[in-house]
Amino acid sequence: MAILKVEKVFKDFSGLQVLLDVNLEVVEGERHAIIGPNGAGKSTLFNLITGYYKPSQGRIFFNGRDITKRPIHKIARMGLSRSFQIINNFPMMTVYKNVRNAIISKFNRRFNWFSFLDRSEEIRRESDKILELIGMTDVRDVLASELSYGRQRQLELALTQARDPVLMMLDEPTAGLDVEETREFIQLIKQVTEGKTLVVVEHDMDVVFGLADRITVLNYGEILVTGTPDEIRDNEEVKKAYLGRK
Amino acid sequence: MMSEKYLNRGWGAAVALFVLFLPVIIPEIKVHLAIEILIFALFAISFNLVLGSLGMLPFGFAAFFGMGAYIAALMFNHIPGTPLAVILLAGAVSGLISAIFVGFFCVRLGGTYFALLTLAFQMFFFAVAMKWREVTNGDDGMGVIRPELYFPGLGKLSLMNINNLYYVTLFFVVLGILAAYLFSKTPLGNSATSMRENDERASFLGYNVFLTKLTVFSFAGLIAGLAGGLYVLFQEFVATTAIDASMSFTIVIMAIIGGTGRFFGPILGVIFFMIFQDWISDLTDNWWFFLGIVFIAVVLFLEGGLISLINLDRVRLWLSRQES
Amino acid sequence: MGIDIYLIQALHGLVYGMLIFMVASGLTLVFGMMGILNLAHASFYMLGAYFAYTVTVYLGNFWLSLIISPLIVGILGILTERFLLRPVHIKGHIAELLLTFGLFYVLGEAVRIIWGSNPLPVPVPGILKGDIPFFEMTYPIYRLFILCFSVFILVGMLILLMKTRIGILIRAATSDTDMVDALGTNVPVLFMGVFGGGAALAAVAGVVAAPFLSVFPGMGLDVLLDCFVVIVIGGFGSMFGAFVAALMIGELQSFGVLWIPRFAMVFQFMLMAIVLIIRPTGLFGEVE
Repeated sequence: MAILKVEKVFKDFSGLQVLLDVNLEVVEGERHAIIGPNGAGKSTLFNLITGYYKPSQGRIFFNGRDITKRPIHKIARMGLSRSFQIINNFPMMTVYKNVRNAIISKFNRRFNWFSFLDRSEEIRRESDKILELIGMTDVRDVLASELSYGRQRQLELALTQARDPVLMMLDEPTAGLDVEETREFIQLIKQVTEGKTLVVVEHDMDVVFGLADRITVLNYGEILVTGTPDEIRDNEEVKKAYLGRK
Repeated sequence: MMSEKYLNRGWGAAVALFVLFLPVIIPEIKVHLAIEILIFALFAISFNLVLGSLGMLPFGFAAFFGMGAYIAALMFNHIPGTPLAVILLAGAVSGLISAIFVGFFCVRLGGTYFALLTLAFQMFFFAVAMKWREVTNGDDGMGVIRPELYFPGLGKLSLMNINNLYYVTLFFVVLGILAAYLFSKTPLGNSATSMRENDERASFLGYNVFLTKLTVFSFAGLIAGLAGGLYVLFQEFVATTAIDASMSFTIVIMAIIGGTGRFFGPILGVIFFMIFQDWISDLTDNWWFFLGIVFIAVVLFLEGGLISLINLDRVRLWLSRQES
Repeated sequence: MGIDIYLIQALHGLVYGMLIFMVASGLTLVFGMMGILNLAHASFYMLGAYFAYTVTVYLGNFWLSLIISPLIVGILGILTERFLLRPVHIKGHIAELLLTFGLFYVLGEAVRIIWGSNPLPVPVPGILKGDIPFFEMTYPIYRLFILCFSVFILVGMLILLMKTRIGILIRAATSDTDMVDALGTNVPVLFMGVFGGGAALAAVAGVVAAPFLSVFPGMGLDVLLDCFVVIVIGGFGSMFGAFVAALMIGELQSFGVLWIPRFAMVFQFMLMAIVLIIRPTGLFGEVE
């Protein structure tokens, strides 16, 4: 069952064509990587799916429902969450409060001004649970802006995970991490996304081949090919795209 | 720490006692000043709901204060006999409705746009107040007679007595400030703070940023409208000065000088402003100028405002030393 | 009503529109380049007018004020940028806005202290007094002068921005300050210069406006609001947008006053609200 379906999507910005006829299906439960040279349009695709941009043409479906024109917060509430390539947290709040923001949002649906007093224990428990899951309990009360880069990336993951999403989209989660940190982080991602669907944009080929069930290659805004890691590894066009660019 | 809690309670009790017995403690002339401080404290708190929690600066906030004032005045004059509480409620609600209207257009926009667009809307309200003479009497304004309050079984209370007016104002101001305080502690109030930090991330976490900002803004308008109603009661008069740019600017100045980072900061600014005005205006007519200088100095050198001078950490340090 | 009434009103609108553009252009340029909406810009305009009064009345020569006013105000602008704006820049947009607001406020009060609260009359200089025949009516010469003068300034600015090195630098800095910095330009000096230049331009507009509108402490706020409406409609940072919008506002006020005087004040705000609903970035503004 396709949990995410991108259908004939085009995106242009004032005439600059960034995405052309993108068709993509993500199977429920799979780990799907999107790769491609710089400028291929990967982040734009992310932004389109999560509602930050609207496609110029085409449609996007999540869990069978048309989310093409839905606002960001509604898509997030449906269980689709994303992380950011550039750290995007609440810098002047503690790690705990950062995560709590996500948890509070989760409970917001049954919004009742006075229920907060009852729920605060639940919120605290949930927040601490997420911190434990991601392994950030030791920095619970540290300001987000004071964390090391590696830990900030962890916080990015925590924020994405906190609402217990059905589909997680990670935009270059290991950007800027060294080899050791990357390895550990990928382990964490595997743990955390157990039983969920994962779409990840990555540059690190080792990561991609070690993590993904299927890979989609994007080049100059167009889908080159989608396939298993083995298929992609041997694909001539892919090699050309990565190595043969002038 | 135990001592800190007792210290806080001690402070709170002292302030409460002072405020309750104020008319007895200070000379009668100064009670007028105290009432004005109360009203503007409420106004400043409502302003800070927008600036402090949302991190957005509305340059035209007097629109809602003025609306409350005018609606209250019209009710005082045209529907005599209405209970005071109802009139003040009407003032508050008119503030709420106008804030929903203005907020709808302004709230999606960022810092500078928001700041000046709210000013433009306020000037629009001002223009209407100025030109619609049949209703508002333009810049000549309308007089209002303070009503008598009837308490069944207890008798009459004349608001012409300044001490009575003080206590009635105090009652409603405390109510308003309490409402604002509780509001800031609700989940909505909390989400406003996270939006101030990073509204983009907040929306990706599932927050409806527009609706949250609009709600906070509108609630602030509600409280400002209440302050406007109390203002009319106090002044016995309303004119376009209640809804003009000067009034908008005044509240910005008060709140910033006091400090917008903490809930009670703006109140300090109001106190400073009023006392400064009371004191310096005896010395020179140009006290506004010196106030402006103080304002610039605060922006340049004391971002947290006057309240940041009350350094809680030093108090904690001192307390922890006492305990050991 | 004959055609000439409409023409006269249209001309009035054009004159006022050009005047507003002179002030708004400096404002939008500074915003585009430095990201600050300088509220005190309107104060520079006001100071220009007040200095014109003083120079005209005490030195007997209006034309001298066209040199003295912008000079003084330009220096004031440079000092403002260097000593007030720069330290506050790091503290964020709100602090910057508050600072320019504080300055606007203080300058307004200073003017009140020095010159008093009453409106001051600045006489139209001798050669420009009177009217000239215009179709079947007459039109004040001074207003035509304002029109010609502002066109002259506009052309001058265009040449400066498009053809000179400084102009290219300024336009580059508006698009990408970091790049310009990396290429070796002394960005702080450039900022000071542009800010001071903008202030001087506002002052020139003030001088020219002084015999035409009245000189009073509230003139800063009036022009600030008009400028803001212009910039919102035209689009923040867009010169061309400011030009088009300024003319629109000029005509709107002119004909508004003619047809429905009671609500003339209100029209431009309604127009602004409409533009904001339909196209939040203004007619020619760029999406950030």
